[in-house]
Amino acid sequence: MSLYDRRMVLFSGKGGVGKTTLASAFALSCALKGQKTLLIELNVKDRLNSLFGSVEVGSQIVEIEQNLWAVNITPQAAIEEYGLMRLKLKMVYKAVFENRLVRSFLRAVPGLNDLVMLGKAHFHATEVDERGNYVWDKVVIDAPATGHGIFFLKIPSVITSIIDSGPMFSDAKKIEDFIQDPELTALNLVTLPEEMPVNETLELRQVVNNELKVPIGMIVANSVYPHVFSEEEMEWVEQTEDEQFDEEVSGFIDAARFRTQRVNMQREYVERLGEEVDEPFVKIPYYFTERFDFQTIRKIARELEEQLDATPSSAKARRSVG
Amino acid sequence: MPNPTSQQFSDLLDRRDIVVCVGSGGVGKTTTSAVIALHAAIEGRRAIVLTIDPAKRLANSLGVDSLDNEPTEIPLEQFKAIGVEPKGTLHAMMLDMKQSFDELVERYAPDAESKQQILRNKLYQYFSTSLAGTQEYAAAERLFDIYSSGEYDLIVLDTPPTSHALDFLEAPNRLTEAINSRAMQFLYKPGRRNLLGVGTNYVIKTLSKFTGGQMLAELGTFLRAFSTLFGGFQERAKQVRKLLTSDKATFCVVTAPNAANIDEAIYFYNKLGSDHVRVGAFVTNRVHPDWVPEDQLNKPALNVAESLAGLHPSFEALERTEQKDFAKKLRQNANDFNILAKLDSESIERLRDTVPSKVPIIRVPYFSRDIHSLRGLDHVRRAIFIGDAS
Repeated sequence: MSLYDRRMVLFSGKGGVGKTTLASAFALSCALKGQKTLLIELNVKDRLNSLFGSVEVGSQIVEIEQNLWAVNITPQAAIEEYGLMRLKLKMVYKAVFENRLVRSFLRAVPGLNDLVMLGKAHFHATEVDERGNYVWDKVVIDAPATGHGIFFLKIPSVITSIIDSGPMFSDAKKIEDFIQDPELTALNLVTLPEEMPVNETLELRQVVNNELKVPIGMIVANSVYPHVFSEEEMEWVEQTEDEQFDEEVSGFIDAARFRTQRVNMQREYVERLGEEVDEPFVKIPYYFTERFDFQTIRKIARELEEQLDATPSSAKARRSVG
Repeated sequence: MPNPTSQQFSDLLDRRDIVVCVGSGGVGKTTTSAVIALHAAIEGRRAIVLTIDPAKRLANSLGVDSLDNEPTEIPLEQFKAIGVEPKGTLHAMMLDMKQSFDELVERYAPDAESKQQILRNKLYQYFSTSLAGTQEYAAAERLFDIYSSGEYDLIVLDTPPTSHALDFLEAPNRLTEAINSRAMQFLYKPGRRNLLGVGTNYVIKTLSKFTGGQMLAELGTFLRAFSTLFGGFQERAKQVRKLLTSDKATFCVVTAPNAANIDEAIYFYNKLGSDHVRVGAFVTNRVHPDWVPEDQLNKPALNVAESLAGLHPSFEALERTEQKDFAKKLRQNANDFNILAKLDSESIERLRDTVPSKVPIIRVPYFSRDIHSLRGLDHVRRAIFIGDAS
């Protein structure tokens, strides 16, 4: 099952590893394939407008590219929408939701924010028009950073383990089934080729497989330095570590040494990741660029498409057992 | 001699008992926290670093196997090997959030029965590890304990990575306010129904359409059990807040120099300021060094090759075309990093323009290797406290 065939595709990982970039690039690659795609941010400071050179993305869905729409879901807006859906009548809704007590109550219910945000994402992933066709071919979610990201996906199963009936139960159950179905959902883990991020990703992968049971789509090593030097040249640079260089050239050599050492280190961690995971494993180069903008996103989108199409789509994502 | 910025930072720390390191994830907050504590120990203080990261590497680089929920003394003899002799002491501990929160329950629960009731409750189990705010609350609580023990002169707290730096301060308030809110009390103190009036009854009925009666009932059970802890919690949250906003404490924003991180750092700074919290310093990690200044980048590759060839026999051994090719690559590589160095210093300048000059902004260079060892930590220490990047 290729990643491009799932309905809901999430990106998670430690902060600062490039989750938003990867989610954006993947969404763009879907849009370029002709899939009508919705890119979802969850209650964060909008970054899509600068990446896509688009308007500010808020709680209303806006078109940011051909075939590509975006929205920034906030818990307030999601709760309101959910409430309206349940309570139908605007007047009843107002009586309930504009009540101060209810507001403070809703603010305090553990996990409610997470549930409604996930619920809204799920709603879009399954939304159909009046003729019964899906409104979106693909919903791509820039999930919260690790830690919180895990709990965010855990909340439906926490609810179904506490209660066994009622509207909240049936909503949670629907979402839980959806996000655990490898034909429908994929969670991608983004990391950097460095020690801590790699270790954490491997741990996270265990937790996702064993506890969350959300199918993993791919593992992404982001910001891999492209090689400039040949193996021989790198060796030469390494060997000259203790030599004194003329002022004229020493800066060039220092910069080369930095590159070489980083490349060697990254290689080790990329190798380690590759050995330990059996999901499709994608490597995205680091872009030495003055402006990280739409051009870069487009390059990454192409990179993703090429590498994913080259990976045998042997449904590597495993359906969870038990 | 430390450079003036490093001296400024060091002077600030001398006058404080608590340093709270805040920042988003992946910017080297844990390492920075450890290095601040190490510096204080070297200066003769009894220092402790509280980390929230299960950072095995940090433990190893400090020469211990692992860190846990109790302070571990870091053996000081090992520092001789790197030529420093701490006059004080250094402890480190890793906050186990779940365990810390369970301990809070142990402490504040009125009797064994309610304690068990809480610990077994599924909502609690979810809530104690994942609800935004509980981790921060547990960290703040632990900090207060350690501070009250009087055993340390400087406590460095590495806060949970968060995209909202202030969760650390706001979350405990939110948590206590929420539990104390009248709507919540309605659920766990049914006796107060009449005080709230008929309108509320209607509201709750409608709410139960929304969540289901069972969910409300479960929530009520949880809150009833949890509310028994509440008095202790609320009092503590107030004390912690008072301590952290006093002149005993300072906040250090740890960041990386890319534009997005700097934006965030500025956001933290403004937000903390409006919350009466003092940001004393910024530490910018992973700053790309400017290896080859721009005017030298345009030097013809041939010249680079020639000066290398003249000096280095091993280079001379290469074919002439190889030499030129290699020199070209050297130039391209230097150019790549020059772009990053320029971007970094633009962002840092922007930060400098935003914060008053009395707040030092420390630049730590991007090291070519991960910080694996005491020697690595000492490199960072020298970069921060001496301004020596070698």
